[in-house]
Amino acid sequence: MKKLTSSMLYLDDVSVAFDGFKAINSLSLVLEPGEMRAIIGPNGAGKTTMMDIITGKTRPDRGSVYFDGDVDLTRFDESAIATMGIGRKFQKPTVFESHSVEDNILLSMSGDQTISSLLFGRKSIGEKQRIDEILATIRLDGLRHEQAENLSHGQKQWLEIGMLLAQNPKLLLIDEPVAGMTDAETVETARLLREIAKTHAVIVVEHDMDFVRDLDVKVTCLHEGSVLAEGPLEHVSANEEVIDVYLGR
Amino acid sequence: MFVRLVTAILMIVAVFVSPLLAQENALRPIIGEFAAAKKFSAVALVIDRLAATGDPRVAVPLRALSAGKLKFRKSDNAVFIVEQSGDQIILNDPLTGKPASGESVASTSDLKKVKIKNSLRRKIDTALSGLTLKSKSTVVRLQAAQTIFAASDASALTALDAALESEKDPVVREAFLDARASALLTSSADTAEKIKAVNRITARGDQPALALLSTLQTSAPAELKLAIDEGIDEIKAGLQLWSSAQNIWYGISLGSVLLLAAIGLAITFGVMGVINMAHGEMVMLGAYTTFVVQEAIRTSAPALFDYSLLIALPLAFLVSATVGLLMERGLIRHLYGRPLETLLATWGVSLILQQTIRTIFGPTNREVGNPSWMSGAFELGQMSITWNRLWIVVFAFAVFAVLYFILNRSALGLDMRAVTQNRRMAAAMGIRTPWVDAMTFALGSGIAGVAGVALSQIDNVSPNLGQSYIIDSFLVVVFGGVGNLWGTLVGAMSLGIVNKFLEPYAGAVLGKIFILVLIILFIQKRPRGLFALKGRAVES
Amino acid sequence: MNTGFIRTIGRVNFIAILIILALAVAVPYGNLVAPPTSLVYVPDYMVALLGKFLTYAMLAVSLNLVWGYGGILSLGHGAFFALGGYVMGMYLMRQIGDRGVYSNPILPDFMVFLNWKELPWFWWGFDQFWFAALMIVLVPGLLAFVFGWFAFRSRVSGVYLSIITQAMTYALLLAFFRNDMGFGGNNGLTDFKDILGFNLQSQETRATLFALSAVFLAGFLLLVAWITTSRYGKLLVATRDAESRTRFLGYRPERVKLFVWTLSAMMAGIAGALYVPQIGIINPGEFAPANSIEVVIWAAVGGRGTILGPVVGAFLVNGGKSWFTGLFPEFWLFVLGALFVLTTLYLPKGIIGTVKGFWQARNARKQSQKDADVPKDTSRPATVEAPAE
Repeated sequence: MKKLTSSMLYLDDVSVAFDGFKAINSLSLVLEPGEMRAIIGPNGAGKTTMMDIITGKTRPDRGSVYFDGDVDLTRFDESAIATMGIGRKFQKPTVFESHSVEDNILLSMSGDQTISSLLFGRKSIGEKQRIDEILATIRLDGLRHEQAENLSHGQKQWLEIGMLLAQNPKLLLIDEPVAGMTDAETVETARLLREIAKTHAVIVVEHDMDFVRDLDVKVTCLHEGSVLAEGPLEHVSANEEVIDVYLGR
Repeated sequence: MFVRLVTAILMIVAVFVSPLLAQENALRPIIGEFAAAKKFSAVALVIDRLAATGDPRVAVPLRALSAGKLKFRKSDNAVFIVEQSGDQIILNDPLTGKPASGESVASTSDLKKVKIKNSLRRKIDTALSGLTLKSKSTVVRLQAAQTIFAASDASALTALDAALESEKDPVVREAFLDARASALLTSSADTAEKIKAVNRITARGDQPALALLSTLQTSAPAELKLAIDEGIDEIKAGLQLWSSAQNIWYGISLGSVLLLAAIGLAITFGVMGVINMAHGEMVMLGAYTTFVVQEAIRTSAPALFDYSLLIALPLAFLVSATVGLLMERGLIRHLYGRPLETLLATWGVSLILQQTIRTIFGPTNREVGNPSWMSGAFELGQMSITWNRLWIVVFAFAVFAVLYFILNRSALGLDMRAVTQNRRMAAAMGIRTPWVDAMTFALGSGIAGVAGVALSQIDNVSPNLGQSYIIDSFLVVVFGGVGNLWGTLVGAMSLGIVNKFLEPYAGAVLGKIFILVLIILFIQKRPRGLFALKGRAVES
Repeated sequence: MNTGFIRTIGRVNFIAILIILALAVAVPYGNLVAPPTSLVYVPDYMVALLGKFLTYAMLAVSLNLVWGYGGILSLGHGAFFALGGYVMGMYLMRQIGDRGVYSNPILPDFMVFLNWKELPWFWWGFDQFWFAALMIVLVPGLLAFVFGWFAFRSRVSGVYLSIITQAMTYALLLAFFRNDMGFGGNNGLTDFKDILGFNLQSQETRATLFALSAVFLAGFLLLVAWITTSRYGKLLVATRDAESRTRFLGYRPERVKLFVWTLSAMMAGIAGALYVPQIGIINPGEFAPANSIEVVIWAAVGGRGTILGPVVGAFLVNGGKSWFTGLFPEFWLFVLGALFVLTTLYLPKGIIGTVKGFWQARNARKQSQKDADVPKDTSRPATVEAPAE
């Protein structure tokens, strides 16, 4: 079957309104396979709502959303979209607080999710290796038996990214990964994301401009639900409108 | 239409006025004297005495006398109105005209007719019309018309015609014309005229009209029967409409009870996201406050009884609001962010409150009286409306209006709405959310207390009073949606009306079950109720 | 028994299960064999009382499975319990045969009294024990499945779900009070004679029912231990703590919940079925919403989200109730109300949960004392409060 587009993610003319307030207004965005994209923009620009639309949490009033070329995402719900290979990290780190770090990763593994296999299945050797790999990637291997609720804020952010990796997605949506992190953690996170971007398509929403600069990828600036500017960071940050609504002088 | 309405209202007044007229006991001995009246002159004397009482009810025995149906039993001189059908002899009470129970005679030879002749008949007609149809009192004239209408008494035609000539009051005229139509049907008038009469009766559209036509239906000749059949169908259709209206009224009445019970819950749930399982007990406290107020008034100032509810209202609000405030400060505040635990803790409080009231006031129902302005009923068209229900509907809407005003016009209301929509943002804007919580809880509980005053008028005041309201109230909130008073109003009214319309078909219990199922299905479509807040902030 | 198994379900839990199984033997022995003068003698009333508590404990265990682990606070679990009880009651009614007051070999007395001519279709088959046994799990299970399917699919959760479950049991209460439902109206089902041919009045049968209840309770505990340690159990807890996270990982939380909800209802049904022959009656009062909420406090007092908590809670609260209602009947509701308030305020983890917390803290202290010699792991983070919702 011929694919509609060659892109990983394709949003065209998407709009959604809440009680008359247009959260997303005729938004178009294309992400190529393997690309990492940073999204910036002031509060209320529609960044999180855009993620809600991609992950099936919110249905757009209008417009088309295609994943992996030809999958119409507006027709699926969150679980189905996640299974297709879109992982999402929330703005507020959301991990399973009463489970150990290791179990958090284990539960995030893609695989047979029927009740019976969950009840009777045992951890396979392959899964153990994969957990070790991921814990090494997110630098939490020393804390694998620690309960997630005891982790620091930054460590929870990493754990959540690790959970996304375990999910083995094609596309990762990462909402404000360095909010509340120390400078050292921020640098470490940028490195982690660049590493992940080698094998996955990634969209990162972030306010921290140093971090965005660190990522060194194409930047899209949203404002009032549509794209204000797009391109390399220097190009976007030189844009008069972007300076007016977001960066300030 | 308007004229009929006025007629109806006057009829009700008549019910209250009639006790002022001569006592029934005073009439019976005079009627009894007919048995001793052996000469025409003696009979004439008794007629005069009856007419002199001024009581319109004497029309029944007098007309019977005129028709030659007034007889007395030889054995004991008891006077009856005697109807004969075939071999059967029916003895009717001389005053009411209704069958006299337990009275019988073996044969007609045991009875003796009271003497009557044409000059006496004229005397009776004059007396009657002067007495009733020409009485100075509108009420008496209307009552007389009503009596003739129900009896369909052809012998009253002459009197009616005479009365109509001089009647000025349009309302009474209508009633006379109705009565005339009724009387005409049993007279020897021709069919065309009778059909006209049937049409007139049909136009009344009420239960007596239906009863009248139904009794005449079987004996009527073919052509007339057709008209009567049509008339009956038309009246039935009209009454059906009225009964729907009555059902809607019952529904609104139930809805306003639900509204009173639910509205306090709706605002606490809206603002704080917690369910107060002791909400029903706040209602109960309000009802018991009413009881205590009435007891105090009974013992110290009985004259104030009619104002007892007005006195109880602010007190009930204070009592319940105080208990609510204590609950919030002492308990719910500590469980913030744990709505399920709050639910359990408030359930515990509800048990304690119930048992406290049971210990103080005993487990049985307490008597809470209706003030005079809340007793009785009146009729509107073919609907019957009780005053207490009407006042509760009015009261519910008043409470709604006051709350609506508080929410939309006051500073507290603004804070409450802000916290409902986005608690964290509201806190960030400098709104003292703990204070808003406490005030909301006190307000919601106070409203429940006020609701208790109203509900004490229609429900049993017992320690269990509150329990029955919590599920219903919550269903209203679920159905109407959180954070919007209009939702609660529409939710309460629609649940009330649907309930009352289901009851005749499914019975009260199945109707209730059906509504539960409906609501469970409803939240499939609209998990956040009819009037839901939208947006991202609501999701979490 | 291998130690891996014991470690999986926990040593304390394992011992508790052994104790319950020991009771299944000891109490009947003490009742039937030991002479009344003996120290281990168990009087008849005590067998009945403890047997009742065992079925209550089973009900609390089933509730704890959905509430403690799944976060679904059911205020209507009494409905599943009562349904299981009614199914058992129907079987026992059919066993009466022609020994009823009206000596009708087919129709139970109340149907004869109501002038019913034949057995309604939903009473068919209940003369067979295997059929009744099947229905004991199927009827509550089916109701829970349908109810849960609707509720979880539309993401009804939290207090909404709690109140709707309460409304469910309230609706059933109203329905079962009706004579024309065919379940004996407000008198319910009673005057049972025997079960599987054994006389229900005989002490042997009663002791056997007690033992059976204990065995079932032990089985329930094993089942809960096994489920909660499986990957499904971890997912269940994950769904409780962060439902949207599981959804964005590709799970379907509604299915996760529906499974445990239906299973729990079946367990409650079994508890009810064992309750009825020991009590000798089932009536619509069992559907009362207040009963269901009381079950919640058993689990809460003992410790929700722990294996043994609900058992401890059920025995403590009901033991207290028996004792209290004997001494000061008018004060029991005060005590129960205070129990709700105090447990939620000061003992949110319940007895077992709190003891477990102390135990773990002590172990951790011991561990850190041991670690004092070795250089401390400085990377270990300070505990950070999760931001409030």
